Amino acid sequence: MTAQITPGTDGARLRHANLRTALAVALIAVLFFVGVIASQFVGNSAVGMSVVAAAVLVFLAVAIGRNLRK
Amino acid sequence: MSAIPHDHAVGQNEDHGHDDHGHHPTGIMRWITTTNHKDIGTLYLLFSLTMFFVGGCMALTIRAELFQPGLQIVHPEFFNSLTTLHGLIMIFGAIMPAAVGFANWQVPLMIGAPDMAFARMNNWSFWLLPPAAFMLILSFFVPGGAAAGGWTLYPPLSVQAGMGMDLTIFAVHIMGASSIMGSINIITTILNMRAPGMTLMKMPMFCWTWLITAYLLIAVMPVLAGSVTMLLTDRHFGTSFFNAAGGGDPVLFQHVFWFFGHPEVYIMILPSFGIISQIIPTFARKPLFGYASMVYAVASIAILSFIVWAHHMFTVGMPAAGLLFFMYATMLIAVPTGVKVFNWLATMWQGSMTFETPMLFAIGFLFLFTMGGFTGLVLALTPIDIQLQDTYYVVAHFHYVLVAGSLFAFFAGAYYWLPKWTGTMYNEKLGQWHFWASMIFFNITFFPMHFLGVAGMPRRIPDYAQQFADWNMVASVGAFGFGLSQLIFVIALVKCIRGDGAKAPAKPWEGADTLEWTLPSPVPYHTFETPPVVQ
Repeated sequence: MTAQITPGTDGARLRHANLRTALAVALIAVLFFVGVIASQFVGNSAVGMSVVAAAVLVFLAVAIGRNLRK
Repeated sequence: MSAIPHDHAVGQNEDHGHDDHGHHPTGIMRWITTTNHKDIGTLYLLFSLTMFFVGGCMALTIRAELFQPGLQIVHPEFFNSLTTLHGLIMIFGAIMPAAVGFANWQVPLMIGAPDMAFARMNNWSFWLLPPAAFMLILSFFVPGGAAAGGWTLYPPLSVQAGMGMDLTIFAVHIMGASSIMGSINIITTILNMRAPGMTLMKMPMFCWTWLITAYLLIAVMPVLAGSVTMLLTDRHFGTSFFNAAGGGDPVLFQHVFWFFGHPEVYIMILPSFGIISQIIPTFARKPLFGYASMVYAVASIAILSFIVWAHHMFTVGMPAAGLLFFMYATMLIAVPTGVKVFNWLATMWQGSMTFETPMLFAIGFLFLFTMGGFTGLVLALTPIDIQLQDTYYVVAHFHYVLVAGSLFAFFAGAYYWLPKWTGTMYNEKLGQWHFWASMIFFNITFFPMHFLGVAGMPRRIPDYAQQFADWNMVASVGAFGFGLSQLIFVIALVKCIRGDGAKAPAKPWEGADTLEWTLPSPVPYHTFETPPVVQ
């Protein structure tokens, strides 16, 4: 069985959704890259990395959690 | 692998998302410019196989040198470079690209998507790898030779090393960028492009393991990039993050590195878990036992992997509370891992099993990975780890996890999906020879290393005391046998690609039930342009 998709609207919506997800994920990567260097500069790596890690874990819980039933 | 004709497409929808339908480059340009997930998957897998043999040749040189005590074949400095580059090439050039290759081929097919979400970025992700690998190998030929301080790039050696270290750092940066782009693609594809009805909890386990692996990559590759960037600025721009001479802290590098390094272990093994979770139910002809618990076990392993890094550095000096925390946290990982092993065994229990090559490799994986897991548990115990730190016991442990774990799973996956990819059944006799030769020679190579480690033989040395000679000789013989055994796989692979074998039906495995088996073999160049509906 196959599902029909409407090329114009569905395609554009998918592209926007893809871009949103990609930007959110890329932001995590940038946060970690900048975070690990910045936390060494600040001199308190534990606090810096904990904040970043907590932010990422919350993001993961939300991002995957809201998709579980979809 | 891709004997797939370009114009062999299924589906009627004309909105393709990328523009490689009308004009198809042929020859080498097809491979350079391709945005098709199957082509890119093929490129990743062939690249990884090539690097596997490059890294394997380094391993054989190491084992040749260690065949007997004394210095026979290579200089000690070159030996150190070999151990370093062997690790880097096998991890970043062989295991990780192989996993991404499987993801490129299988994730869109398994979730009913027409391609990856960002097809052009997918092309870039792959084509960053060959220059990075070239730089790593090139570093052997620059003044000072290749990096020689171990794949972990610990300072102070890495701060003091020659130009080869700069090439290594640059290569690590490039490969990290490639991994991050690949992960963004996989996460986006899985979250947004699943076929109607394919909820996350209906996804094949392989896709689940890759979704979680991709998140791990996103979280830890930037940390590695950050740490080697700081190493670079210490080397050339006068900073002192890790340079003790300037007030820096070399141990800090170890913390940051292993914050990347331990999740990296799971990055290499979780996709293998996914492959095994596809193969065992197929050949046991039963659904995967405890699907939901498998998903949660993978997620638990991934989360726990962030809080155990310091078990790699018990000997650097840590407060007792830290030692206890990291010891117990590490032991905790055995729980979700045990859940997975239990579920695989329960899937096989009273199943109608057959033992074709993919299943043999899957069972081999299960047996040997569990042994590697147990020796990991031994190493998790702080008092024992302090004795065994940097001995051959550790070498044995991680080769049981990464060779018999990751590599065996990839061989299992390759034999499992080759009929779908090439349209030709692999030669079962060759597959069985490959499995048994690999299984026997792997154990001849790595099992004696446990004895060597317990007896106190340190790793990363070109010479050793006389009392270690016998087991080293056995391990070296086994290594050459294992290396030669892999040529059987190449023969089986070439025969498949050339179409030398029985034609594969759409579904060659009776128990297979994921979406890719609804497609003809070889799988058409364009697939699921009209999404299937999953009931």
